[in-house]
Amino acid sequence: MNSAHWDAYRPTGYYDELMGDSGHPRTVARRAVNLLRQLDDGEVEARRAAAELVIREMGISFTVYSEGGNIDRAWPFDTIPRIISSKQWNLVSAGLVQRSRALNRFIDDVYNRQRIFAEGVVPAEIVLESSNYKPQCAGFSPRFGVWAHICGSDLVRDGNGHFYVLEDNLRVPSGVAYMLENREITKRVLPELFENYSILPVDDYPNRLYSTLASISPRQVKRPTVVVLTPGIYNSAYFEHAFLAQGMGAQLVEGSDLFVKDELVYMRTVEGPVRVDVIYRRIDDEFIDPDAFRADSQLGVPGLMAVWRAGNVAIANAPGSGVADDKVIYSYVPDMIRYYLKEEPLSRNVPTYRCMIEREREYVLNNLDKLVVKPANESGGYGLMIGPHASAATRAQFARLIEKHPRNYIAQPTLTLSTAPTYIDNRVEPRHLDLRPFILQGRDSWVTPGGLTRVAMKKGSLVVNSSQGGGSKDTWIVAQGNPKPRRTRS
Amino acid sequence: MTMLSRVAERLFWCARYLERAEGVARLCAAYNHLVLDIPKGHEPGWQILIHTLDVGDDYLNLHRSYNERGIFRFLIANPKQGSSIHFAISAVRENIRTTRDVLPEEAWEYINELYLYSQEMAERSIGRRNRFEYLERVITGCQMFNGLVLSTLPRDHAYRFIKLGSLLERADMATRVIDVGAAQIVNREMDDPTVEPLLWSNLLKSLSAIGAYRQAVGPLVNANEVIDFVFRELTLPRSVRFCLNGIHEELLALPDHHPTTHLINRLIVQVQEFNAEQMNFEQVHEFIDEFQLQLTEVSHRILHTWCRIT
Repeated sequence: MNSAHWDAYRPTGYYDELMGDSGHPRTVARRAVNLLRQLDDGEVEARRAAAELVIREMGISFTVYSEGGNIDRAWPFDTIPRIISSKQWNLVSAGLVQRSRALNRFIDDVYNRQRIFAEGVVPAEIVLESSNYKPQCAGFSPRFGVWAHICGSDLVRDGNGHFYVLEDNLRVPSGVAYMLENREITKRVLPELFENYSILPVDDYPNRLYSTLASISPRQVKRPTVVVLTPGIYNSAYFEHAFLAQGMGAQLVEGSDLFVKDELVYMRTVEGPVRVDVIYRRIDDEFIDPDAFRADSQLGVPGLMAVWRAGNVAIANAPGSGVADDKVIYSYVPDMIRYYLKEEPLSRNVPTYRCMIEREREYVLNNLDKLVVKPANESGGYGLMIGPHASAATRAQFARLIEKHPRNYIAQPTLTLSTAPTYIDNRVEPRHLDLRPFILQGRDSWVTPGGLTRVAMKKGSLVVNSSQGGGSKDTWIVAQGNPKPRRTRS
Repeated sequence: MTMLSRVAERLFWCARYLERAEGVARLCAAYNHLVLDIPKGHEPGWQILIHTLDVGDDYLNLHRSYNERGIFRFLIANPKQGSSIHFAISAVRENIRTTRDVLPEEAWEYINELYLYSQEMAERSIGRRNRFEYLERVITGCQMFNGLVLSTLPRDHAYRFIKLGSLLERADMATRVIDVGAAQIVNREMDDPTVEPLLWSNLLKSLSAIGAYRQAVGPLVNANEVIDFVFRELTLPRSVRFCLNGIHEELLALPDHHPTTHLINRLIVQVQEFNAEQMNFEQVHEFIDEFQLQLTEVSHRILHTWCRIT
């Protein structure tokens, strides 16, 4: 019987999303866990096989770059959902909106008046000397002063279950399509779980995204032309680009589909050129316009930046938004919130040691075995060192790197990432996870109810990135106040 | 509805390759039936399949001689060759991967399923034992997709370019089916008079047209009447004439269609004036060769006019 696996389940030393220390499910998860306990091994296997089949048939895949060419991997998915109460979530959500507002004020300030430098809240040099600062963007302010229209913030929970923001991805955050597909898979393979819960729906996202993008259109027309700009089929997130374009009824364009004429952007269509109002770009700044950035880019649109600066096309996220997507800048977010919004931060930052500051660097170098060292400006979990797991040689290597390029590194205490029950070979075992909600900001702001939960499928591992063997789970935000199971006709 | 030129091009190719996979599967299945129907020692050679698809050179680059296994390996399982089912379905999938945003969501699921099947089973389906089942599943998979398109896709540009691609390929394949019959008779060493009706009725079957033929023409299957029927029958969805009319109808909805519709009109006149009675099979074969070249020209014009506007 499978319930034996659940009886033996003990999350040790970490906050577990579904199970309390006593081995009993948390209130919000009780009904789901009780139902899952009743599934015998054959049932569990059948559901897992069903999920795999759905994933294969829906063609949910992501592309991994490898030496032998690109391969499409099916999306690794664990059927046990992660469950969070809406009461808890509302606080997190408010904190994320607040961050997004402050970060956008910051980006707008950096490219314009630079008050935050003048007032000594953030040192100018760490921003202006960063490769993420794009002088091509200075002196311009997009509609509503919003630069990062779509933000994906990574959250983790510590031993007490408190949520922490680990980083804010402001360039081209991905993962939202997988969040939506995860819900689809769960609905298909574990429909009975939904009977007893009122789970906030997530499938609204493409509409919200469209409204956000439409709100920043330079032409105030009823249905502005929105396009999704993709680098193409070989991008790891291509599946998502297509998914979102379809969800919004927008054209999925590649750079060669667009051209600039007389300070306007057009796309090439069967009927002839059509003017484009809003570009949801999923390619990096460096590649969007060979005239303004990398001249060798084949992916972009020559002359695009000039049109953007003339206010004739909106780009989301705006070029230059990445200036706030940096782990050193991250450490200043609470100060930004206080400075721009005159509010106290509603979200928690992970304590961050900045190697560029001598006192903090010394602490880092003396405590390498206890800290996680991260490059300030990389994503995807590459190039980081988890001190307690690293060899002496690796630590020495990072010590040299830090001393050579202190601005490029930060360090954080190793967090005791929360766990959730995960099927591993038909057994239920705790695995570490994080959460990436998406925050939309245009005329209004909105946060996905939940987000993409990523799971480190290897025992004890803290690396959740899909490019490095991570999996994912459906994430439920469950409305409280409906504790009674719905009665079903017998 | 706006349609990107690049997307139009991919849909066009997607539809062509899907139709090609189905057409090759239909042709192989029909020819198989024919071979099984004919007494041992009188069977027609398999290489006719290769010749009618105009892939003789490619075949001989890979295989030393024409033999049943080699030919089916080539037509079913070859991953690189434009007329193999395996390749055609991969090409459909690649084109849908990059256009799925303009198609019904199930389009990708259907094609993905067909792709997985056609890829996994190809090698095992070269031999006679599994061949029929494979060919039938491929045909059914293609039909499912076409049914989805027919019953769900709005009649806008996406539908239009799919239809253009399908009909062009289908018209081309219909001429090749006739070519198989004509070539068979020309090259024939078979002297058995019972073989010819078998040949033509199997070819009609490959177009799902045997029933329609019996009703429209009569129960006796005769070469000239089959050829006329496949070229000119207005009500038959796989006839050349029907395909050309459909192409013409879709072109009218596109801007700057005149040079292309002009060419289609010329082809329609050729088909109308075509009369198998007055030709020998050599002449039919030459007519078909010339006709296929003109269909290729239509394809070029479509791609040039609407898919690569610069």
